[in-house]
Amino acid sequence: MFFAYLKRGLLAGGVAGIAYGLFMATVANPLVGYLEHVQHGHSHAPDGGSVVAESTTAIVSVGGGLLWALFLGGCFGIALYFLEPALPGRGAAKGFVLAASGFLTISVTPWLVLPPFAPGAEQVLGIDTRFALYAGLVALGGLIAASSVLAYNRVEPQSRGLAVVAGALPVVTAVAVLPTVSPTLVSHPELSADLVAAYRAMVVLSQGSIWVLIAAAFGWLQRRNGVETTVSETAGTTT
Amino acid sequence: MTSQSDTVADRIETARAEIAPTTALAIFGFGVAITFTLLLLQEPLAHESLHNFRHAAGIVCH
Repeated sequence: MFFAYLKRGLLAGGVAGIAYGLFMATVANPLVGYLEHVQHGHSHAPDGGSVVAESTTAIVSVGGGLLWALFLGGCFGIALYFLEPALPGRGAAKGFVLAASGFLTISVTPWLVLPPFAPGAEQVLGIDTRFALYAGLVALGGLIAASSVLAYNRVEPQSRGLAVVAGALPVVTAVAVLPTVSPTLVSHPELSADLVAAYRAMVVLSQGSIWVLIAAAFGWLQRRNGVETTVSETAGTTT
Repeated sequence: MTSQSDTVADRIETARAEIAPTTALAIFGFGVAITFTLLLLQEPLAHESLHNFRHAAGIVCH
């Protein structure tokens, strides 16, 4: 049963990865390239020129997008196997709750303090500090997601509407409070505010879409195969 | 007991029965090996090649 979930998660990740790879190839690559050329002097190489050819960067980034979704899909499958009984909702809805929790944990919560940045961004903090901060924010995101689910489960027997409010409370609080208390750590001196906003929206929507696609593909695969029960699998292995 | 009524503890129990410790160790070891290789490749070519992706995915390191 564990491997069935892992396999399904990887398949779902593959579906999302193909979509995200296409997105990288058609939207993100040209946009990042454009933003780079608009601003002079942005480069990672010390001597001002890029180490790797742009076409290589484009191809590897498409592959990276595919692998990223594949990785998320695998993690999603494993996490769903263990957490499914504790998640609210029934059937495929559980998958969407987990996808939302994953998105909140590894993307949204870190972004509330360290927003996604375009090439040429000026950073207040060094890389090491940012990594540590990122790790801390991922842990915080996990706590927020877990408390949200626990709050929902606790209130659910009394009232479903109230449970939705209780579950949304930790998330809404975090999204409202974190950006206001954290200082501005990333700025784009050479880009217009509108362009930066559009860029960030693109990043948020594309990452969110990966999770939605994974949950949807996973749910579809599960319906197609028929839901296996713990009992029949255990009985099959023990007898 | 159906999959709707079991608990997280049941799932962990099932996984334990289903996956031998050596298998788990092998999978874990392989995962660590892959991560190690990736970290080894990280500087600087592979890292630089993933430049567009890192920006698009909103991943912190830069």
